[in-house]
Amino acid sequence: MTSYEENPARIEQADIVVGIPSYNEAQAIAHPTTQAGLGLLQYFGDKTSVIINCDNNSGDGTKEAFLNTPTEVPKIYISTPPGVRGKGNNLMDLFAKVDELGAQACVIIDADLQSITPRWIRNLGEPLFMDFGFVAPLYVRHKYDGTITNNIAYPLLRSLYGRRVRQPIGGDFGISKKLVRIYLEHEFWSDETAQFGIDIWMTTQAIAHGVPICQAYMGRPKIHRLKDPGADLGPMFSQVVGTIFGMMGPCEPYWRGVKWSRPTAVFGFGLGEVEQPPPVEINREGLYRRFSEGLTQFQGIWQRVLASESFAKLMEVTEMEREHFDFPSPLWARILFDYAMGYHNLDGERETLLASLIPLYFGKVYSFVLRAERMSLQEAEEYIEEQCMTFEETRPYLDERWGKRGKKDAQDSRGR
Amino acid sequence: MPKILVVDDEEPIRLLYEEELQDEGYEVATAASGQGLLERIEQEKPDLIILDIKLADSDGLDLLQEIRTRHYDLPVILCSAYEVFKRDVKAIAADAYVVKSSDLTPLKKAVRRALEGRGR
Repeated sequence: MTSYEENPARIEQADIVVGIPSYNEAQAIAHPTTQAGLGLLQYFGDKTSVIINCDNNSGDGTKEAFLNTPTEVPKIYISTPPGVRGKGNNLMDLFAKVDELGAQACVIIDADLQSITPRWIRNLGEPLFMDFGFVAPLYVRHKYDGTITNNIAYPLLRSLYGRRVRQPIGGDFGISKKLVRIYLEHEFWSDETAQFGIDIWMTTQAIAHGVPICQAYMGRPKIHRLKDPGADLGPMFSQVVGTIFGMMGPCEPYWRGVKWSRPTAVFGFGLGEVEQPPPVEINREGLYRRFSEGLTQFQGIWQRVLASESFAKLMEVTEMEREHFDFPSPLWARILFDYAMGYHNLDGERETLLASLIPLYFGKVYSFVLRAERMSLQEAEEYIEEQCMTFEETRPYLDERWGKRGKKDAQDSRGR
Repeated sequence: MPKILVVDDEEPIRLLYEEELQDEGYEVATAASGQGLLERIEQEKPDLIILDIKLADSDGLDLLQEIRTRHYDLPVILCSAYEVFKRDVKAIAADAYVVKSSDLTPLKKAVRRALEGRGR
């Protein structure tokens, strides 16, 4: 992949880089660029720094909006070739450039961030100069924001890899020079990873390589372009979930040794009163409808993928009245583990398999929305933590099924 | 035999935990205050710490932060008579949060899990 670069200040070295991946973010990118520039000056003024926009050849003027944003810190624009899309591809371009510049630290922030302050750059960057290799964000989010994180990415990452990283696909990260090298020499890459699967891929690689991890407390909520999970799922779901399931094969030696999760250190307190996140409107009707439609469309696949007990329990759930709908967490954990098995047992049809999981996810989110309606943010958070514990307690179920698969694979290979 | 350091300013609690955890097969050391805790950790080299939050001379949540800075991977279980501190974001850095009770089953379960989890 030959990337395009504009480096007006001819920067050849930097101690710290802030990278902003984008696609068609001309309207939004000036704000995070300004804040990144201020943060680098204020907190890393003794170091050489640069801001890099890693873009997908946007046609809306993202490049001009970025380069024309006034900052004292120099800027570089890089882009994938025309037609090559994906956040994962953007970040691989960024990592190659970070390596070339010899930077000790790389901070990544989303291009549509509205609530970023200079302090975010400090909190994501400073731990990298204190022997941490990977910094994940920790911010207050609305209870209905981040539903893929809360219901899939966080519980699966925690129960499989044994680290409690609350925002594993948060979009804003800090990465050390050593970890950048690990990413560039990656062992596992897929079409999903090249897109929105990149965040969970980075977090998982950091854990699996034993890199010291911390969470940076951002103080302010993440305010960006909010999405209604019932309306805007798009391809992100399959890319994130496909990456998680896909990595379970190559990372098996690691996660098979994990029993219970461990906490992750937190950096950056003392930020005063915590701001409340903005409300998230949710289309309950749409969530329930998409779950019910799934029954007609995917019941056959569900029956093939799920263990018979899980399928029977799911059929009970489908018969529940809408007002009293409940999707129990132990069932949800088993379903995700069954799907992980299904993903690995199939060579083709993985797209259909992931598509058939989407209605179940909508059912789970709908159940959460009903349950959390009167919960405070803190109570909703405690519910999510309890759900994670259920995933950890259900792990022996996965281990047993995966073990049987391992034996079957061994028998098959002997047969060949 | 895994070694546990119990940090609590109430003597009856220290004695109770010491006795019960020894019965479970652990070696137990105790400390009555948070002062000099980091040095004590260097000396004792515990495999796990049970840390009270409302110590007479220090705040267990602040101590947890200090422990995490120097001993990144050392399991720490926070113990308190109050549930409310669980909601403090600093408590996230603990392996578990246990509300004090005469029934030590949740504490023992948390100890077992934290020590098993440390294997990775």
